[in-house]
Amino acid sequence: MYRKTGMTTLLLAALSCGNTWATQPDEISSLSVRGFGTLGVARSSSDHAEFARDFSQPKGIKGGQWSGRIDSILGLQANWQATSQLELVGQLVSRYRYDESRDPEVMWAFAKWEPDARVALRAGRIGADFMMLADSRLVGYSSLTVRPPTDFFGPLFFSHFDGADASLTWPLGKGLVRGKLFGGTISEKTPLALELWDTSGASTRGLVLDYLTGPWQLRASTAYVGYSNDIQYARRLADLLRGTAVPSASIAADALKVAGTTTRYDTLGVVYDAGPLQVQAMLNSIRHEAGYLHNSHAGYLLAGYRLGTVTPYAGVSWWKSKLKSPSTGLADPDLNDAFDFVMGTTVADQTTYTLGARWSLCRNTAIKLQWDAIRGSAASKLPFVRSQPDWNGRTNVISAVVDFIF
Amino acid sequence: MALRTILLSLILMLLAPHAAADLVVVANPKSGIERLSQDEVINIYLGRYRRLASGITAEPVDLAGDVEQKARFYRRLVGKTQAEINAYWARLIFSGRTRPPQVAENVEAALDYVAARPGALAYVERAQVDKRVRIVFEMGE
Repeated sequence: MYRKTGMTTLLLAALSCGNTWATQPDEISSLSVRGFGTLGVARSSSDHAEFARDFSQPKGIKGGQWSGRIDSILGLQANWQATSQLELVGQLVSRYRYDESRDPEVMWAFAKWEPDARVALRAGRIGADFMMLADSRLVGYSSLTVRPPTDFFGPLFFSHFDGADASLTWPLGKGLVRGKLFGGTISEKTPLALELWDTSGASTRGLVLDYLTGPWQLRASTAYVGYSNDIQYARRLADLLRGTAVPSASIAADALKVAGTTTRYDTLGVVYDAGPLQVQAMLNSIRHEAGYLHNSHAGYLLAGYRLGTVTPYAGVSWWKSKLKSPSTGLADPDLNDAFDFVMGTTVADQTTYTLGARWSLCRNTAIKLQWDAIRGSAASKLPFVRSQPDWNGRTNVISAVVDFIF
Repeated sequence: MALRTILLSLILMLLAPHAAADLVVVANPKSGIERLSQDEVINIYLGRYRRLASGITAEPVDLAGDVEQKARFYRRLVGKTQAEINAYWARLIFSGRTRPPQVAENVEAALDYVAARPGALAYVERAQVDKRVRIVFEMGE
């Protein structure tokens, strides 16, 4: 009852279009507190697998039931401009998370130092620069679609890292080049296939290069993640395989090891944003050292055109694994089945077609309706939660959200 | 001759209201810059790059609220509505990336701010420009 009342109050506040969004701080040395949120419902038609927004969600939606689970978010951020060069930023977010609670998480907590208009240094808990237009994937009001394309951003299991980044911007030709180096440690947990994977102690580092000229933004980036923890169910299976003392089974067991391995994540992207037209496209390649994690490539193309206060949009995204096929070489059907099952949990093979519209209700509130048709193979289990044996890789997701800032 | 006079009068009549509503970007005379290109104004106002050619850090000023002059400025600069500019800043602010422009309650306050700070810039109607500031970019109609 309390939750319903709270959600209703938020919804009414968003729809009232109050003029409370303080877009700009007034003076140097000022404190500002702002917030963002999404109230949304979605339904996925398939009974045989649960659709989730990203890897952080332990349960998704299925069976044609409307649910507010995956997209509803509330965030609060404080910025303190201590001096003209130093700013402190903290952000708390409540969202559906790995432990099925909505307990607030510290998403950002960093100090930013800008000694010069060309240089920015940040240290603390910061967001990784994975989206072309923002570091956060949670601020629905700031983006065209209900959620970032799941095929592309879904596998990014962490939202922030504890570390530092340094960015440098300089003019080149008629445009600007922006380079950013980042590095730090990850401390998030992610539900993966069968149980919770604690990625604490993993490290990340990377480089992002952007070129901005007129309505164009071009992007190339590379990032590494180094893991320090195994995925426990894979480790237990590896122990069983090693216990057979068969050399080929030991090699298969090694493929299940994730601790000590790295993942390389490369992206290319382009945005064209001119007046009412916005087009975005990105490609990625994800390569894992761990034999258990299949390499993959993904991409998306999204275009929207504003007509008055409504922006219809259409997009296509895809995510395909390139299968690694280690085998145990054993005659034991139970162990072979278990091994094949575990290897099968990390396969993605699907394309998503998206149609939607964003209606700017007022200066701080937008309403979105979206339809996603996911067309994949039965093997495409990684993007979904608890896929059943009769999962055929196809589902239709309909979403309706109210995004607001305050 | 009469035809020429009529034509000239017509042209002046057409131009007059537009000239009065011309938006310009003004800077402090001590900014060390004479002109800005449209790309430079975009970079400064959208927080991409706020360094003037003279080496001074640019401090753009926005008008408070949803006033018509502000809507016209962004529509002409980047073809965006106020809601889109809001969404743009939401994206950057909630990423902790960059600061939006300073805010002035009205044009007089904006001009006072520009007159007082070497790196400050503001957008005003041409008719509102006074001797304390210098026009560095003309948006036209």
